[in-house]
Amino acid sequence: MAAPLFLLAPPRSYTSLMNAMLGQHPQAFGLPELCLFNVEILGQMWIRSSDEMGSDAKTRHGLLRAVAEIYAGEQTMHSVRMAEHWCAARQNHSVASVYQELVEKIDPLVAVEKSPAYTVDVKRMRAIYRAFPDARFLHLTRHPVGQCKSVMSLYDGTFALFVNSIEFQADRAVVEPQYAWHDFNINILNFLDSVPPDQHMRVRGEDMMSDPPEYLGRICRWLGLRHDADAIEQMMHPERSPFACFGPLDALFGNDPNFLSGPTFRPHKVKMPPLDKPVPWREDGAGLKPEVVALARELGY
Amino acid sequence: MSEPLDARQEGKRAKIGPIDGDPVSTHPDLDKLSPYQRGLREALLREFKARKVKKFVEKQVKYINGNRQVAEEIKILFDEHGQPPANAPMEDIIAERRHLEHQIKWFEAMLLELQTRLLRVREIEALALDVLEHSPEA
Repeated sequence: MAAPLFLLAPPRSYTSLMNAMLGQHPQAFGLPELCLFNVEILGQMWIRSSDEMGSDAKTRHGLLRAVAEIYAGEQTMHSVRMAEHWCAARQNHSVASVYQELVEKIDPLVAVEKSPAYTVDVKRMRAIYRAFPDARFLHLTRHPVGQCKSVMSLYDGTFALFVNSIEFQADRAVVEPQYAWHDFNINILNFLDSVPPDQHMRVRGEDMMSDPPEYLGRICRWLGLRHDADAIEQMMHPERSPFACFGPLDALFGNDPNFLSGPTFRPHKVKMPPLDKPVPWREDGAGLKPEVVALARELGY
Repeated sequence: MSEPLDARQEGKRAKIGPIDGDPVSTHPDLDKLSPYQRGLREALLREFKARKVKKFVEKQVKYINGNRQVAEEIKILFDEHGQPPANAPMEDIIAERRHLEHQIKWFEAMLLELQTRLLRVREIEALALDVLEHSPEA
């Protein structure tokens, strides 16, 4: 069974694009966000996890779309219904065994997945490693200002609020996404310390955006996959992935909605904002925390 | 072959977020927060939800107004018996046909969605009845 590749990064760190690009490699299979390791038993994905922040049904869409595509070869309302029955039949199975079953089904293709929710807690990443001791992990980074701005622009920063990335002031609390940027990257670094060095690699998303053939080639060499011109060319078309669009009515998502509505990739140079200036999402002129600046420097920003 | 899982130690870098615990759950660990901070957090969540509802209502109102506007505009296509007048312009008839086709597509999608939900509810109902039938009190 080919060892899967997991992309580890906080949300809004080019993960959707990178996942779809790597998944288009002729020897790989790019999955949508399965979010399987958010829980331990499959049935728990159908249990409401939060009363504070609305519905979490969207977290199941990726899994339903993946099962529909892998087993039925199409994503329609009928195949999604089949996928629901597939899941129901395995509701008491561990998510590790369900994931292994999917990976085995697409073998010899290398499964490529990213669910940013895995980085919320080291326990989730540890569970991945237990299920796949030979898995590879790609730590994808993004400049804290760019990532936080992007988080705040999506549904008023709902993700940051969802993970309690909050700053308390004298008379009010405000959403402050840099806590999540820092702590999720720290979770990844802490976890990767327990993984042999040849099983993980770090790439700056901004470098990938400006010179994709170079960095895709490096990743392929590390994974032991083909890195010829044809393979690179295929990876330059993430929009060809069967998951790079909205799914049927009862499983619409499974990925970042912005990516689903515009998955085409155009190489571009990303501007890196300074680390010592006020940040745009704060009305009080505050900047990045010293810990965030220190970690950003460590990650090469 | 990989090293055993416990062969390497996990890092111990410190986090800076003010709230511990599994954040995506009903039970974030709020012990570190004072009662006042918990109140502020509640207020922030309420404000966020209110903003979300406001946006949703604004969108719906726009949609309803849009439908009314369309209804007003096509009124001239029909006489008091609901029939198009004999001299209705061809363009208007085509536009009306397209409009109806579009609405039918939407209704078909809605119908499919409702059928799916009905199927699920029927399954749950059948299971519930089955459980009741086999319960010792039955």
